[in-house]
Amino acid sequence: MAQIEQSDKGGKKKKGAQKKMQIHVDFTPMVDMNMLLITFFMLCTTMIKSQTLQIALPSNEKVEQEQQNKTKQSEAITLILDTERDTDGKVKFDAETGKPKHTIYYYEGKPVVDDENKDGIIDNPNIKVEKFIGNTNGQVNGIRKILHNRNKQVLEKINVQKEKWRNKEINDEQYQAIAKEIRNDSTLTRPVVIIKAGPNASYESLISALDEMQINQISRYQIDNINGVDSALIISYKTINGIPLH
Amino acid sequence: MGKVKIKRKSTLIDMTAMSDVTVLLLTFFMLTSTFLQKEPATVITPSSVSEIKVPTANLVTILVSGAGVDENGKRDASVEGKVFISIAGDVDSTYSSENVREQVLLEAMSSYNKLHKNNPVNFTNAQVKTFSKLNMFGVKFSELPKFLDMSVAEQDEVMKHLDNAIVGIPVDGNRDMNKPNEFQIWMRAIYNVAEANKDMGNDALASALRKTGEGIAVKADKDTPYSTIHDVLDNLQTLKLNKFSLMTALKTEND
Repeated sequence: MAQIEQSDKGGKKKKGAQKKMQIHVDFTPMVDMNMLLITFFMLCTTMIKSQTLQIALPSNEKVEQEQQNKTKQSEAITLILDTERDTDGKVKFDAETGKPKHTIYYYEGKPVVDDENKDGIIDNPNIKVEKFIGNTNGQVNGIRKILHNRNKQVLEKINVQKEKWRNKEINDEQYQAIAKEIRNDSTLTRPVVIIKAGPNASYESLISALDEMQINQISRYQIDNINGVDSALIISYKTINGIPLH
Repeated sequence: MGKVKIKRKSTLIDMTAMSDVTVLLLTFFMLTSTFLQKEPATVITPSSVSEIKVPTANLVTILVSGAGVDENGKRDASVEGKVFISIAGDVDSTYSSENVREQVLLEAMSSYNKLHKNNPVNFTNAQVKTFSKLNMFGVKFSELPKFLDMSVAEQDEVMKHLDNAIVGIPVDGNRDMNKPNEFQIWMRAIYNVAEANKDMGNDALASALRKTGEGIAVKADKDTPYSTIHDVLDNLQTLKLNKFSLMTALKTEND
């Protein structure tokens, strides 16, 4: 629809005067086509790149008893993850918060496995239960509170540095280096967290647990396989507290 | 009385400026876009506070499919835990995705045939070419030549049916290193190719696999039970590829 209009404002034409041409190109189809292309690109692109969480697992090789790293009992805290599922295997969601129902059973130090009356139920499992709640009103809550308290010394030191970094006294790189040093400072009391995911635990709960390590600046943690003792502890805990097993 | 003349305005709008804007937008989208790769299974990754970005080059993505939903709205576990691999090569064209994939296929073929002397699998040049164009693969090794002969539409049709036994790379039986499963054959092949390329002067993939853990990304659905994920992680551990990353979406600390 390109139009070339001749301005022809009546009357005499001077000889020798150039004809003035008013060129008017209609861009509407061009815009239409561009819009189509934009829509195509918008639908086909991934603007948000996914993030990754880097982990290192131990190799599967058998380690000799003497070579094993022993964790101090006072430092160890074991988290056993579980997710509530319905009979179909679908993850159950909490009606109030809309979040999936992840449960964390945890014990500090060694598991207590006394069974005096030999009924297969451990009498006093030293298990406690927490949930992933995150922060409420800026306060740490749920399992984060437990881990936070266990790693207080490190967190306090790091917060001092964080404040400095916020006030631009140290740059990002320096902050990261100092934070790493504090995390690995063996003079501070730091916990060793052992994360065990039960067979029903969803992948999300594992990631949430790993997240808590990062949030609480815990440098020593490992992902381990659940064993018979752990299952026995949970079953005993559920039986004693009248929670249905499935 | 004189008639009031209503001046007729031209309805022509100058679209030049509009066109300028759209072209600018178009350029922006064209330059920033990375295309959504076709994946056989759609998964929703869990969210995490980690802010490390997924690299675009030198990356092996391991996709673990989540459970589906059947006609009655029930959870369908038959499609769960199928494993697919995607390989992205270097920006350097000598070690591009296509070339790396070709090398990996040949490497995997030779180690597969060593284990299955009675019914070896061989690929024609055309099949190797087709494989190098595939973004994500995941069919049984013995079915691979037939799969590669199909047209793209037919391949998609096969991949749609995740409950089909030939779809997905088998991960079971992983303890015996002398008899690796198909997943281990593939990962080992990728590793060997990376090492070979390192000798040729490009160690990007090799170091991503071995040192930093950036080279392997496990992508799985947030609701998948850990026992399924564990099968895959266990295989990686057996292969001594202990460092890897888990793909997540971003969330804030308060969530």
